[in-house]
Amino acid sequence: MRILVADDHDVVRRGLKSVLDARTGWEVVAEVANGREAVTQAEKLKPEVVVMDISMPDMNGLEAARRIKKTCPKTEVVILSAHYTDQLVRDIVDAGAKGYILKSDAERDLVIAVEAVSNRRTFFTTRASEMLIDGFRHRGEAPSPQALARERLTSREREIIQLLAEGNSSKEVATTLGISTKTAETHRSNIMRKLELHSVSELVRYAVRNQIIEP
Amino acid sequence: MKAAIAKMKGETTKQSVRLVIVDDHEIFRTGVRRVLQSDGHWEICGEASTGDEAVRLAQELKPEVIVMDVSMPGTNGIQATRSILSALPGTKILLLTWHTSKELVRSGFAAGASGYLLKSDAGRDLIEALQTIVGGTTYVSASIGM
Repeated sequence: MRILVADDHDVVRRGLKSVLDARTGWEVVAEVANGREAVTQAEKLKPEVVVMDISMPDMNGLEAARRIKKTCPKTEVVILSAHYTDQLVRDIVDAGAKGYILKSDAERDLVIAVEAVSNRRTFFTTRASEMLIDGFRHRGEAPSPQALARERLTSREREIIQLLAEGNSSKEVATTLGISTKTAETHRSNIMRKLELHSVSELVRYAVRNQIIEP
Repeated sequence: MKAAIAKMKGETTKQSVRLVIVDDHEIFRTGVRRVLQSDGHWEICGEASTGDEAVRLAQELKPEVIVMDVSMPGTNGIQATRSILSALPGTKILLLTWHTSKELVRSGFAAGASGYLLKSDAGRDLIEALQTIVGGTTYVSASIGM
């Protein structure tokens, strides 16, 4: 089985690679340090599974997962995160990832998650499974206004939220994405309106709270 | 300091340094182990996943060096450092964290740690940091800016 590993921290990557390579028939075919590279390598190498950190610079794991599922629907994604929130689990499910574990989970859980998703099954860290089951019991409750607003964001807008929250100006965002400054500014004002934010510092707080960037 | 490192390097070709890894994240411990194994000068004699376990293991194994995570549930790395050093004052402890807080670095050194390394720099700098503290000098990640 061919696996792609994406994490911006090299010691974590080495840990992941070591655990995955140790399994008979499994091979880490590439290691990358951000979401954008993960999307490129996934398209090129078509791995069965991508194991990917959620918080990475430039493009985070959620946005990368969405794109990978779009361009390589047969590739399955396992998301890793340092911290747990219920909202994150929903976002991970929405992004199309079938596996989710915490960095504090045992290596055995990583192996089980990769095995599960490669067999088209799901594997979620214990707390997430409890939350999801609980969620089914309360199905029918109205989603929060902020959750609705988030759903209205386009993929491009989510990408720009991260770049802005990382301290890039509209001009820098434009250069990174190869669009005009004017277009970047339009995206920016659409984001602020949809999320009801009024300043960059509010946008940073939003990005941290939703684990789009690390504090 | 250079002389100290050179001396230490000379010695480690004959004998490797006995070391314990402490981190509550198993995947991270494995990453650290791989970095150390690829260098070849370090003998990993034990691993612990909590501060309390680290204190017990240090007393049992008396390693020369401990690579210690700061943020762990229960007894954290700084508290564990303090108790280990009160019983085994010669132990060199390298603290590892994700946080660049200078305040945290100060409490780490106040507890007696020999070095402070950012986890995000660990792949590149772990060996150098360990060689520095074994050589008798303190180490702080350059990106903390102290």
